[in-house]
Amino acid sequence: MRLAFAIFAFVALAAVPKLASPYYVTLVLPAIAYAIALLGFNLLFGYTGLLSFGHALFVAIGAYGAAVLSSKLGLKSFEMILLISGLAAVAAAIPVGLLSVRYVRIFFGILTLAFGMLFHSFLFKFYNLTGGDTGIRVLRPTLLGMDFKELDKTAFLIGPFYYYCLALLVVLGLAMWRIVHSPFGLHLAAARENPRKAEYLGVRVRLFRLIAFLISAFYCAVGGVILGINTGQADPELAYWTHSGELVFMTVLGGFANFFGPLIGAFSFIFLKSELMGVTQYWRFFLGVTLVLIVVLFPRGLAGIGEDAWSRAARKARRS
Amino acid sequence: MTAFFDILIGGVFHAAVLFLVAAGLQLVFGVQKIVNLACGSFYALGAYFGVSAVKWALGAGVPIPLFLPVLLASGVLVGLIGPAIEALLRTVYHRDEAFQLLLTFALVLMFQDVLRFFWGANPHELGNVSMEYGKVAIGAVQVPTYNVLVIAASIVIALGLGAFLQRTRFGRILRATAENREMSQALGVNVNWMYTVVFTLGTILGTVSGALVVPTAAASLDMPVELVVEAFAVVVIGGLGSMRGALAGALIVGLLRALAIRYYAELEMLAIYLVVIAVLIARPAGLLGKPIE
Amino acid sequence: MNKGRRKALKALGGAGAVLAAQPYLSFPAIAQSQPLRIGIISPRAGIAGTIGECGLRGTQFAVERINAAGGIAGRRIELIVEEETNPKDSIERLRKLVLQDKVDCVQGIVSSGVSLAMGPVAEEMKALTIFWDGTTQDGVKETMANPRYIFRSTDNECEAVMGSLLAIKHWKGKFKKIAGINPDYSYGRNNFAAFQALLKKFGVEHEIVADQWPKVGTLDLTSHVAALKAAKPDLVFSSLLFADLPIFMKTAHGAGLMEGGCKFVFPAAGFQHTALKKAFTPEGMIFGHNTLYFDHPKASALQKQFVQDYEAKFKDYPHWEADRAYFAMKVYQAGVEAAQKAKNAWPSQEDIINAMEGVKVESLGGPGHMRKDHIAEQTFYQGITTHKNRFDFPTLGEIDTMYSEQLQKPPGADFWKWIETAQIKL
Repeated sequence: MRLAFAIFAFVALAAVPKLASPYYVTLVLPAIAYAIALLGFNLLFGYTGLLSFGHALFVAIGAYGAAVLSSKLGLKSFEMILLISGLAAVAAAIPVGLLSVRYVRIFFGILTLAFGMLFHSFLFKFYNLTGGDTGIRVLRPTLLGMDFKELDKTAFLIGPFYYYCLALLVVLGLAMWRIVHSPFGLHLAAARENPRKAEYLGVRVRLFRLIAFLISAFYCAVGGVILGINTGQADPELAYWTHSGELVFMTVLGGFANFFGPLIGAFSFIFLKSELMGVTQYWRFFLGVTLVLIVVLFPRGLAGIGEDAWSRAARKARRS
Repeated sequence: MTAFFDILIGGVFHAAVLFLVAAGLQLVFGVQKIVNLACGSFYALGAYFGVSAVKWALGAGVPIPLFLPVLLASGVLVGLIGPAIEALLRTVYHRDEAFQLLLTFALVLMFQDVLRFFWGANPHELGNVSMEYGKVAIGAVQVPTYNVLVIAASIVIALGLGAFLQRTRFGRILRATAENREMSQALGVNVNWMYTVVFTLGTILGTVSGALVVPTAAASLDMPVELVVEAFAVVVIGGLGSMRGALAGALIVGLLRALAIRYYAELEMLAIYLVVIAVLIARPAGLLGKPIE
Repeated sequence: MNKGRRKALKALGGAGAVLAAQPYLSFPAIAQSQPLRIGIISPRAGIAGTIGECGLRGTQFAVERINAAGGIAGRRIELIVEEETNPKDSIERLRKLVLQDKVDCVQGIVSSGVSLAMGPVAEEMKALTIFWDGTTQDGVKETMANPRYIFRSTDNECEAVMGSLLAIKHWKGKFKKIAGINPDYSYGRNNFAAFQALLKKFGVEHEIVADQWPKVGTLDLTSHVAALKAAKPDLVFSSLLFADLPIFMKTAHGAGLMEGGCKFVFPAAGFQHTALKKAFTPEGMIFGHNTLYFDHPKASALQKQFVQDYEAKFKDYPHWEADRAYFAMKVYQAGVEAAQKAKNAWPSQEDIINAMEGVKVESLGGPGHMRKDHIAEQTFYQGITTHKNRFDFPTLGEIDTMYSEQLQKPPGADFWKWIETAQIKL
């Protein structure tokens, strides 16, 4: 069932540039970026049980990495940008992670929130270094060495760049699938359920949490690079705590207990937000109501609703 | 010297306001173990409502010097939405902390637009009303009397809270429930009712602080999200769940910010976050909090 | 005979209308019946909310008059309004306007930061965009070096230059210690830097004793004011211009900063002029109103009408964002109408852009024109405040008028080099 869903999703996404208007395609790109970021985030939240309210920090590192590399250092290769920004995020995640994984639950959340806001403050205040509230421009990268000069920005974004990012999503998704189903992943789940018992059984809880933290930072940075290229600008609001809150919102909306939950959450949230923004100026209110409904009534998110519907249908089919 | 004193008073004023919000946070966390991201929203609500209440009162002929009691009353009044919010939060008490936190985040989102709906998109302010009480000389420095009154009010509330928690029966039961909820329940305490009261008290502390600060600043839609970070810094530095910690944390954050602005403006908020991180590393329970496992 | 002619004309007109209604006939006249869609992106909330609101009112004033006179080259204007927030979301609204709503022109933007981010995006989308504001010169070289589709307001903060020149003219030799309190973003940074560069150029000896950068949106300025006071400045330079400005003034007044003969230079205070009440805003300040001073005794009939309408409708007095918005709309109108006349058919976007270059218009605040390099030139007003008026806020007692050619760097120049080397008159 999962495989069928994955294939269906892939085909649908691949067809989007051919079927939808350019505007909607430019919406799907950020959704893909967030889907990648959330795959990593959910490794930490759903599988390891640590709720971070500061992961927008790593998304921002990705975007600013792309900005600094492309516009200040002239490095245009998308592959290099992804790699360097990802590694930069991991490098930042080491001290943050080391300090944070000592704590759990609410303290972990508050500590990560503080780190996120620390970075935001830095980005904002050090105007000469970071461009302050304007941020830094992100220039168009070359994909596999090709620069597609003949295409304008929109055509580039909805054409070769879109398919490249879709491929990235598939590759990183497969990687995450392997991670989650590996012994490492099982250890994480054990540590989440009962840390003390897991420790007795030889699971090095803190180390594994740190590794999960580092992996999640990498994925978030990749998402940030794509976001930065899409917008063309890296600005400090990417690191603000409410942006971290949106990451959590998307994950829970999609369903954190399901592997595909974060992907569903990313797409649903982006479209929900965009449609609401076009319809009412009180879109934040309705987003809040949606979150309330999810938290109170549908804690397993849209994926959970989907799974329930599927199993009910399957039971009905079996009975008849 | 006078310059330094000026800065000191400014820092203490900011600390006074922060303390009230932090006290509300501590109360709710201490008893219900919920971290309320919407504390900033209550603060903003108190500010907006305070502006409207004072404008209405002055328009209805209430003499200007009485604006402070009007502010206090309006702060308390609007804080009575507490029970309604608590009822919503009650639906997720038995669930993981993450969901409680998320629910309060949803409240932040909703409140932003509720405020926008009722009061519009532009900041609301009270003109020159805070100057009504003139200035008072403390040593060689002239300080607006209003600021001193707010500091005094904050101290009174702090002492009152302290007395309430330590000396009254309800306060003792409250502290007991914070320590051990099941035992309290077993001993016949109506925990649900207690939660409602505590949450409402926390809400009122937030709304009153917003109302008190609004004459010197303005009510704006950015308030809810901006304040949360400072309030969290206060409770973390002071220690989650500790009232005295709220006081200590508020003073540290308020003074640090005032000093940073004077001597190294770039650092302003950065300094505070660094202190938060340092405290969390060196003494995770905060300066005056209880150790956590 | 007359009746016959009238009947014949009516019949012709009817036939024409019928023809015009046929969707599959591609006469240029057909396009005329479709409205011109113009997208507006301006702030609607928060600290710049009132500014966006005033700008939008300027746009609406322009649109009402244009539509009443038959529209732009016969086509009615239809506005689609979106909200300007942070760079990322504002760019998304731009995409929606251009790709989904398919607007003919985008106007708006108040924040310099957003304009820097949006500029390259609009260029890449080949979307005709006219910025109301966003007057920074930093970062423009990298982002919008030779714009084709974007039209900008002035190329640097003319108000900073004018304010600095006025300060030097009136007070040279009377101040030494300077304190700056400016909003922490490109606009604030540029303003204060320009002030210092001009002081240096004119050989005014000075010492910066305090340097405050409150984050945009900070509404609690007690500590900042205390820090300023502690530095004991002779002059305070501030480009604060959002809702934090009245709060700063109140707090400063309460802390006693206004006593003791301190001078004030506030190039952008006009944005908040009606909120800066006499009670805490002293006389003798250098106060900037940019391109619209609502109470100018020599105002044009157009401005007087606008201010009158504005006061009647909104019980308030407009500031220069309304003028910028009006200017943007008039420049667009002038370009379209000139191009249409030249081509005798509906012009393409390229025709319109060519026609807009160099066009002259009469804006609310005074005459202005659009340079060939897509930078605006307008008339600027600043002066010394007075309390002698019928309002509860100060207005300008002495008014200085300068055309932006004196305040703005010429095409292609570097701002800082221009300040050093150019012949700038006081």
